[in-house]
Amino acid sequence: MIKKVFEKPLNFLETILFLDFIKGMSITIKQAFTKTITTHYPYEKLTPPKRFRGFFGHKTVNGLEPQPAFDEWVERMKIEPRPGQSRCVVCYLCKKACPVPDLFEIDGQKLENGKKVVSVFNMNLMLCTFCGLCVDACPVDCLFQSDIHETASFSRKDSILNLEKLEAIGKSWQDRREHEPDRIWIDDDARQALWRENKLNLKKVDNA
Amino acid sequence: MSIVALGIIIAIKVVVILAIILGIGAYLTLVERKVAAHIQRRPGPMVVGWHGLLQPLADGIKLLTKEDILPSSANQVLYNLAIIMALVPASLVFAVVPFGPEIHVFGYDVKPILTDVNIGIIMAFAFGSLAVYGVALSGWASNSKYALIGALRKAGIIISYEVVITFAALGPIMLAKSLSTYDIVMAQIHQKVWYIFLQPISFVVFVFALLAETGRVPFDIQEAEAELVTGFTVEYGGMKFGLFPLVEWYVEVLSLSSILTVLYLGGWSPINIPFVGFVDPLFFLGPWSGFIWFIIKVTILFLLVLWLHWTLPRYRIDQITTIAWKVMLPLALFNILITAFIAPLLRG
Repeated sequence: MIKKVFEKPLNFLETILFLDFIKGMSITIKQAFTKTITTHYPYEKLTPPKRFRGFFGHKTVNGLEPQPAFDEWVERMKIEPRPGQSRCVVCYLCKKACPVPDLFEIDGQKLENGKKVVSVFNMNLMLCTFCGLCVDACPVDCLFQSDIHETASFSRKDSILNLEKLEAIGKSWQDRREHEPDRIWIDDDARQALWRENKLNLKKVDNA
Repeated sequence: MSIVALGIIIAIKVVVILAIILGIGAYLTLVERKVAAHIQRRPGPMVVGWHGLLQPLADGIKLLTKEDILPSSANQVLYNLAIIMALVPASLVFAVVPFGPEIHVFGYDVKPILTDVNIGIIMAFAFGSLAVYGVALSGWASNSKYALIGALRKAGIIISYEVVITFAALGPIMLAKSLSTYDIVMAQIHQKVWYIFLQPISFVVFVFALLAETGRVPFDIQEAEAELVTGFTVEYGGMKFGLFPLVEWYVEVLSLSSILTVLYLGGWSPINIPFVGFVDPLFFLGPWSGFIWFIIKVTILFLLVLWLHWTLPRYRIDQITTIAWKVMLPLALFNILITAFIAPLLRG
């Protein structure tokens, strides 16, 4: 037995005048003459929020590193920080945090002065679930998730991110997004206008 | 009028009617997609041509170039016969639809109706009933349980609603004292009243029967995308798949809307004030205004059907047959009773 909560059943007069039909059709005709709410995707694109969990990237050494964590880890791992290149300190914490550790392939390279730099950093995104645990684990804010979400490729090879691609993604993201205030965009009027707040006004369910 | 001229005129009529039906039928897919999209606050097809105007052509090319797959366990003859049985009766209904008043071209008096037979309405409903063959054959020949269930549901609906639609149409026929579609319109013009004003119950019953016959919401239980994956068309591919919705959703809706216009909305007559006369804002078009009025009425009916389709949920199959036999048929019979008293009072 279905219990109707919101509406009482129509009486005889309302039934023969098709009141339920008229109610529904008035709603659809109102919607039909309002502005459409779609984005014409390949021609128009929305900007994802700054914290969007898209493709991975390596932030580069540019003076905005988290201090004192970065200096401590550089000293501990004996890393040679190179401006404009990856911040990675080859600590393998991302690999430890990953539910599928095999997708990481990380290696460092000894320099002549006895210090190390990262030389190999491959991520096989065919195995990745974009859970972000590696990003949380990164102690120097190097590995991060960018706003790139169009990840389709023509071959499986293209879905493996190597160090060059990661640095390129990181550089472009730092140029475009790093100086944006880090906030959820409920207070950002420009972005808010793109999505339009959904003003739902639901009736309360009376369970009596 | 010589026999040669008669033959040429009939040939021209056949070509024009077929071209208009199939051409407009294809373009109504775009109209439906646009209406559905805007009701759901989408813009619909926008890429091919200006606002998607060339989309039906693109769809047609796509469907025609697809591989024609015959299911291994299907009955090949019936499988292909079903398409013909669906398309031909639906198109033949237009043979008895009068599109406008008698016109005078090149020295001949031409009625814009293919055959003005004196049993036009009976022909229309006979062809409408034949549509069940196409559906039943396609469901049987596909040898698939979804197709068969969909076909059985459709057959049940058509058997129920053919009875209802015929009894509903009896009202206007009694008032007009004729079965010829041309004479029914002329009777409405002479009596200066559209029969919708005298037959409101019958009109509503007819509209519901139209929705059921053409498989439109709320009676689209034979399609039932969620359960039956579009029912009896499920085993068809390419243009064969494209033809079934074309016939069922567009050609049949157009033909039944034309019959509805003839029976209740005075065919090609302009706006009616009951028992007073007709007001024609399109008087400057001369005799051609009748064609425009006919097109306007059929367009409004088609848009109404679309509006209903994209608003309402669907009934269950048992509710549909219950409505047909327990509500619609008694209403239609009651309407005939009332009409029997009204009909002698009308002059003309």
